[in-house]
Amino acid sequence: MKTLGVDIGSLNIKAVVLGDDGILGASIVPPGDEIEAGARKAIGMALAQASLSNNSLPAAATGTGAKLISFIPQQKAITTCLARGIHYLLPSARMVIDMGAESTTILKVNERGRLADWVNHDKCASGTGLFLQQMAKLMGVPLEEMAHLSLQAHARADISNTCAVFAESEVISHVHRDPPTPKEDIVAGIYASIVSRTMSLCKRVGITKDVAVTGGVALNDGLVNIMEQELGFKVLKPKSPQIVAALGAAIIAEETAEKGTK
Amino acid sequence: MIIVAGIDIGSRAAKAVIMKNGTIISTTICDTGPESVKTANTTINSVLKGAGLSLDAVDYVVATGYGRILVPFAQENVSEISCHARGINWYYPSVRTILDMGGQDCKAIRCDAEGHVTNFVMNDKCAGGTGRFLEMIAEVLGIKLGEIGDLALKSQKAISFNTICAVFARSEAIAHVRKGVASSDILAGLNEAIATRCLNLLLKVSIEKDFTITGGIAKNKGMVAKISEKVGLEPLLADDPQIIGAVGAALFAQERYMGKESREEAKLQYGYNDGTGDYYITIDSRKCDGCGKCVRVCPAAVLEIVQEDGRKQPKAKVTEAARKRLSILCPGYHICSSSGEENCRSVCQHDAISLSW
Repeated sequence: MKTLGVDIGSLNIKAVVLGDDGILGASIVPPGDEIEAGARKAIGMALAQASLSNNSLPAAATGTGAKLISFIPQQKAITTCLARGIHYLLPSARMVIDMGAESTTILKVNERGRLADWVNHDKCASGTGLFLQQMAKLMGVPLEEMAHLSLQAHARADISNTCAVFAESEVISHVHRDPPTPKEDIVAGIYASIVSRTMSLCKRVGITKDVAVTGGVALNDGLVNIMEQELGFKVLKPKSPQIVAALGAAIIAEETAEKGTK
Repeated sequence: MIIVAGIDIGSRAAKAVIMKNGTIISTTICDTGPESVKTANTTINSVLKGAGLSLDAVDYVVATGYGRILVPFAQENVSEISCHARGINWYYPSVRTILDMGGQDCKAIRCDAEGHVTNFVMNDKCAGGTGRFLEMIAEVLGIKLGEIGDLALKSQKAISFNTICAVFARSEAIAHVRKGVASSDILAGLNEAIATRCLNLLLKVSIEKDFTITGGIAKNKGMVAKISEKVGLEPLLADDPQIIGAVGAALFAQERYMGKESREEAKLQYGYNDGTGDYYITIDSRKCDGCGKCVRVCPAAVLEIVQEDGRKQPKAKVTEAARKRLSILCPGYHICSSSGEENCRSVCQHDAISLSW
């Protein structure tokens, strides 16, 4: 059976076409002004990759903007989808740290890929992808390069504020210090502050191995490196960490469709 | 003849006042620059110039505010919370509840008839609801900070914000501007969100008549109108609410010069409220005897014992470094008490410590 999963995030829309032998197509597109049009575009691209034109596959949607698209009636919580998605890709994972553009979600998964416990933080920008983006802009370094820079750091600049606005002033004062704090160290400090925020969330549900990292921020090697230092062990990274929730949605669509035919 | 000065180095503006025999003879408000010492010097020179005096003529200087430690010419420094209470008491002795809205923080303070602080809460960790937040939105809308108060009052239909986070609110405001929503409606919605947040802070210390608003934001008419609507009380506003902290510092300077002892502050609440909840550690300094047991049992080392100048007894405090990340460092009372080990509350013989989460 072939199914479709869509994840409407705040910064990107992700679509996955799932077949019996694995992922047939996947796409990541920015939503633009119209969420529905963006979603259709993402789905179209994923279908094209899977060499399908049929747009009537069983489908499920998830993500913050899922309720804004009317053409996929089945909608699932992002936590449930992440649990299914990670279980499919990395069955040994018992804990998932999902770091998106505007929220961080920590969840625990049991051996069957079912959600056991979760916490999330979506009330403010501290420790999110948006925070990182803002810092990159402030320092005039592209997001990708920031990761490389942090790997060369000798120390971590102290960023004591978690509020994105106040942290900005702190970073500015590091840049203007005499002598200025090296850029590498500032970036490492920014990452450390995000990681410490995430770790406090993790502690609320309890850290359990194996830990997998998903979401756009997981693409950032520098940040994941600091996270591993704080955790004291290596984390698992799926090949495309951004599409895990969309994949989970496709798995759920499959489960629902099977139930229906029985 | 007694000439004293009070200087309040805030995060965005530095204020100073000179008093001669108990009357204000000169005031000033300057921008806070990146170097605290330089800011302090510029501010004091400006206020001295207004009074036609030199620094030698001033008998006693008290500094307050965020940059109070780096004022080289001050004999003493006093917390801005005490100064706001004392300052407003000089204008309106009937005030019992103060909302201080500054550039980077917001505080709710309760005081008695003599202007002594009896309880306070502050939020200095999240930019939501601070002057900095308003500045960011004014920038998005392309209007001057001084104009936003009047503009918000012209609103026909306030839009509602889904968030109090300054970063998310900026994205929301940009989206509204693109859709062609009037600036006045965006500002009115923002004032609504900030006022709700202030009300929550005030409710923590409980609101008692009379009520006042101090700090730079108190000059924003739209915001003041919104807050008085929420609180249900008309605030007693000083002529210049922004200099109240400096006035309080000058009053302290006068008292100290005349040799008066300071009185203890009562309940001290350390922490903040952010999008995820309330994180306050309250220490009742009337009950605390400075025994230090809580410091020894804390697994996260967030407490310390401090002997403050002019005070007889040392007291427990939350360390400066921990105040802005309490929710991350301190596990919270429930986790500590369920672990079976001793914790700050269980070892305190006087029940002086409480935690909000």
